Amino acid sequence: MGDNFLSGIKARSTVLMFLIILLGFGSVMSRLVYLQIIQGEDLSERAVEQQLSDTAVSAKRGSIFDRNGNTLASSASVWKVILAPAYFENDTQRKYVSENLANILGMDSSEIMELAKKSDSYYQTVKRRIESDERDKILEFINEVSKKYDRLASVIVLEEDYKRYYPYNDFAASVIGFTGSDGQGLSGIEYQYDSYLTGVPGRIVTENDGWGTMMPFEYQQKEDAQDGNSLVLTIDETIQHFLEKYLKQGIIDYKVEEGAVAICMNVKTGELLGMAVENSFDLNNPYEIADENLRKSVEKLSGTQKEERTNELLAKQWRNKAISDSYYPGSVYKVITASAALEEHAATLSDTYFCSGSLVPYEGVKPIRCHNESGHGSQTFAEALCNSCNPAFMMIGKSLGMEKYWEYFQSFGFNSRTGIDLPGEATGLFFNQDGSMGPTDLAIGSFGQGITVTPIEMVTAMSTVANGGYSVRPYIVKQIMDASGNVVETTEPVIKRQVISKETADTMAQILEKNATEGTAKNGYVAGYRVAGKTGTSEKIGQSRKQGKIDYIASYCGFAPADDPQIALLVYFDTPTGEAYYGSQVAAPVFAGIMSEICPYLGIEAQYTAEELEYVDTVAGTYLTMSLNEAFAKVREDGFEPYVCGEGNTVLAQVPQEGSKIPRGGRVMLYTTNDSTKETVRVPDLVGYTVKQVNELAAEYNINISFSGSVDQDEVYSYAQSISPDEIVSPGTVVTVYFGNDDVDDTVM
Amino acid sequence: MLQSYTYGELDNFSEQSRKKKQKTENPVPLNRRSRKRKKFRVFSKGEGLDLPFFLLIVVVLIIGLIMMFSASYPYAFHRYDNSYFFIKRQVIFALLGLGAMIGLSYFDYHHLHIVAAPSLGVAWFLMLLVLILPSAEGDDAPKRWLELGIFRLQASEVCKFALILFMANWGSIYYKKMKTIKFGIMPGVIVLGITGFLLYLEPHYSGIVICILIVAVMMFLSGVPIIYFGIAGVAVGVLVFIMAITGKLSYAMERMDGWGQALEYTTPEMWQTTWQTRNSLYAIGSGGLWGMGLGQSRQKYMYLPEPQNDFVFAIVCEELGLIGALIILTLFAVLVYRGIKISQRATDKFGMLLGVGLMAQIGLQVVLNILVITDFLPNTGISLPFFSYGGSSLVMLLAQMGIVMNISRTATLEKQ
Repeated sequence: MGDNFLSGIKARSTVLMFLIILLGFGSVMSRLVYLQIIQGEDLSERAVEQQLSDTAVSAKRGSIFDRNGNTLASSASVWKVILAPAYFENDTQRKYVSENLANILGMDSSEIMELAKKSDSYYQTVKRRIESDERDKILEFINEVSKKYDRLASVIVLEEDYKRYYPYNDFAASVIGFTGSDGQGLSGIEYQYDSYLTGVPGRIVTENDGWGTMMPFEYQQKEDAQDGNSLVLTIDETIQHFLEKYLKQGIIDYKVEEGAVAICMNVKTGELLGMAVENSFDLNNPYEIADENLRKSVEKLSGTQKEERTNELLAKQWRNKAISDSYYPGSVYKVITASAALEEHAATLSDTYFCSGSLVPYEGVKPIRCHNESGHGSQTFAEALCNSCNPAFMMIGKSLGMEKYWEYFQSFGFNSRTGIDLPGEATGLFFNQDGSMGPTDLAIGSFGQGITVTPIEMVTAMSTVANGGYSVRPYIVKQIMDASGNVVETTEPVIKRQVISKETADTMAQILEKNATEGTAKNGYVAGYRVAGKTGTSEKIGQSRKQGKIDYIASYCGFAPADDPQIALLVYFDTPTGEAYYGSQVAAPVFAGIMSEICPYLGIEAQYTAEELEYVDTVAGTYLTMSLNEAFAKVREDGFEPYVCGEGNTVLAQVPQEGSKIPRGGRVMLYTTNDSTKETVRVPDLVGYTVKQVNELAAEYNINISFSGSVDQDEVYSYAQSISPDEIVSPGTVVTVYFGNDDVDDTVM
Repeated sequence: MLQSYTYGELDNFSEQSRKKKQKTENPVPLNRRSRKRKKFRVFSKGEGLDLPFFLLIVVVLIIGLIMMFSASYPYAFHRYDNSYFFIKRQVIFALLGLGAMIGLSYFDYHHLHIVAAPSLGVAWFLMLLVLILPSAEGDDAPKRWLELGIFRLQASEVCKFALILFMANWGSIYYKKMKTIKFGIMPGVIVLGITGFLLYLEPHYSGIVICILIVAVMMFLSGVPIIYFGIAGVAVGVLVFIMAITGKLSYAMERMDGWGQALEYTTPEMWQTTWQTRNSLYAIGSGGLWGMGLGQSRQKYMYLPEPQNDFVFAIVCEELGLIGALIILTLFAVLVYRGIKISQRATDKFGMLLGVGLMAQIGLQVVLNILVITDFLPNTGISLPFFSYGGSSLVMLLAQMGIVMNISRTATLEKQ
């Protein structure tokens, strides 16, 4: 019986054993076969998909340098803080993370809390562009969080990003351009060379664990990000600075409303040494309206009106006038007409043209007046250009003919873009797009009305005249360097075509030099330098801001040195609203100012005429502590006239100070007693006199004069002085007096 | 069928070879006599330990430790900055367990008659303590462990053993009355009711499932008519249904609502709830036929949560492949087979019931565990014997194996 029971248990346990082993283990094993063999591939693919993380590595955007290696734009690493609220399990965790993040980032914790409540999201941007100190703190916090809550290991993610810095703020802003929030170039070189600067983003495919950190396996596929190439510009920071400085001053002095442009170009290669567009804006803050008055006026608006106005003003602010504006070139274009006529033998140097003050271009139309209403009388070809005589040029144009006029308009490059490597280049416009024109068109076109050109086209055409007659392609990027600084590409100058012969070009250079010295362009003369140039004033027909009022564009385009031209310079003021608005009054002095700084900077040697030498400033030395006899000898040796003040025998003070510039023969006051320095003089009104008269006044008032402008002419008059009349100064103080001629003016149609 | 699982001398223990005359004395004197004869040999084919059984346990244990270490070190490193956090403890418990096993293999299991009923009382008392004492993991977490300073005791592990012991004792005493409801059904229902209630309060539903199965197995072995199991099955179904509609199964339901949908999740919530099961499937699938190689699991790197616990075998599948998994399962099957065969040679009903019950528990847990990690059953938390991390479980398991070994010792006399 016991046996029965024992065998009963035995039998049942055998059944149980078979149930467990056959049914239980059998089903388990077949389940594994199904999962590992039949479904294995699919499951392992899914596993790999979650384990592999494909991270894009952003490439560092290349820098932009000027030709001397000064950094104009560069990028630095910043980070973006991402929150993945889906990982949160409860509000305690949300609060903990929000408060700590707010603390680190200096934000409002309720703001982050709001993001943290978006519980089905894995990507909420908390803050963009944090810098490395904040990033370190965040990393520390991430570590802390993952220790505290397992599930929150990936709740905060940092993404690397780059931020663009422009160390010079508003410097060459329209040329350099700026980038958008994703680092893409939006304007200027940043836009034009975006593909070079951007680089190639890399990717890292890693096996990441469930917390998003790398697993310790050998498996890693890495494609390094290829940092963007850097650009070396043809721009020279110093020259650019000169351009901007003088333009800014010019805008103030002449109440220029619509901005100004100055372009400085190497006439032989087409390299742009400087391209200034004012008013400028801050590249680090491009979305702010730079002009304070405009900004305030916009802030008063509201709604869509404000938005529209803001967009309009921003578009204007970012516009690169130097290449996007097309304008009537006015008299500057006479250079082109003259060159074409000489080249085509439609005119010779010995031809004479008679100006009676106006000319009827052809029968049946009203006469077109010259700016000199009494007429220029009989003039040679060269004189006609120097007088900027409209009737003479109508005659020259007529003998050139419509066909040739159109041909040269094209071959000088006004009908097509110059091909400069900047975005948004416009092109000049001819009367009719097919090149046809009427007789009146030819007449006014001869002196630069009715056709439009862009500033860059104008300076390029002037370079053609300066360089011996060939057309070059202007360019602004000199070299492209890879991330490690190796040059990968150097821009070679492109010579497009010979437009005029060398002979014609040389002749034109001579005439333009004469024009800059004696003619209508003499306000652009720079003492000691052989400058050639032509002024222009044009009406903004149909583009004036108010009806019934005429707006002008004042420009000056020239080159230096005339005997061996190296640089061409265009100065262009859009809508000067002061009393002076002629190119000769507004653009020429600015041109002269810029040239007087650029030429010495470029090492162009000054060649003074004997007359000029008289007025060339010389640097005063120090005469302090010398005995009177010694000091007298030294002052004379330096080329000045000594004057003594006081009864002592030793020089205690001097005016001007050591290092001041005064003309040869200027006065040096030597003070021998201490109280003698208290002696003062009053500055006289020095405007409106000839050089001789100013010299006399200076002697009378015991001050020194530094002459600026073209002073070797009898008929030039002073138009400004650096120290206002009636100011009290020490004897011997240097007053700069600006000479120019505003009674001879170029044509306005 | 049998032949496929036997090797070498296993044949010697087949049922036919043991058809020898046996005295129909009561168990106690028989046992006493056998003890006198015993020579203190640790390993012996004849009278000592059952060597294949012992070796199987050691092999499974070592494989289990290696795989648990492999599965757990990344998580241990992240969680505790110490890759050896789990394995260190597990090895200590394994050594303790081995000691207990060898010790118990010398301890005459007949003495367990006396402690059978009290042990169940102790187990219930421990489970009550677990419920009363504050939990270290916070009020929301299930209360399953007794904090005992250096280690924590999972009371349900004790309870499982106590249930087997109690039922084996009952069945061996009242074997003649097992066909009656009063003796065959009632005790099982009562102890199961109390145990189940306590486990329900923890809550520990997988524990309930295991206990039900254990008690059912014990009742089945003791000779309860098959018909009652059908009735019980229906009753359990009704009970679960009632609990479900009253919403008291929330914890289990939460774990179940992603059941079978780990790969077809549609909402973020479901994606979260099925995270563990899905990553278990990924791990198993990644293993393929040959596996990624020992230590080469990817899924243990924070994808599969707590890979040292219930889901350790998913990592085994990933690293050792189908081949490795089948070998390990075969080892388990052979172990169960061998254990039951040993128990069947016991000279008394208590020994046979106890031994078979203990081996059945291992077999059931292995099967249930792997059905869970393969998303065949809802994710309820059943550990894998000898593999899953857990001190009380491992020590209890090894101790139970010691009891089975003792059964093999005392049963050897038939062999002569």
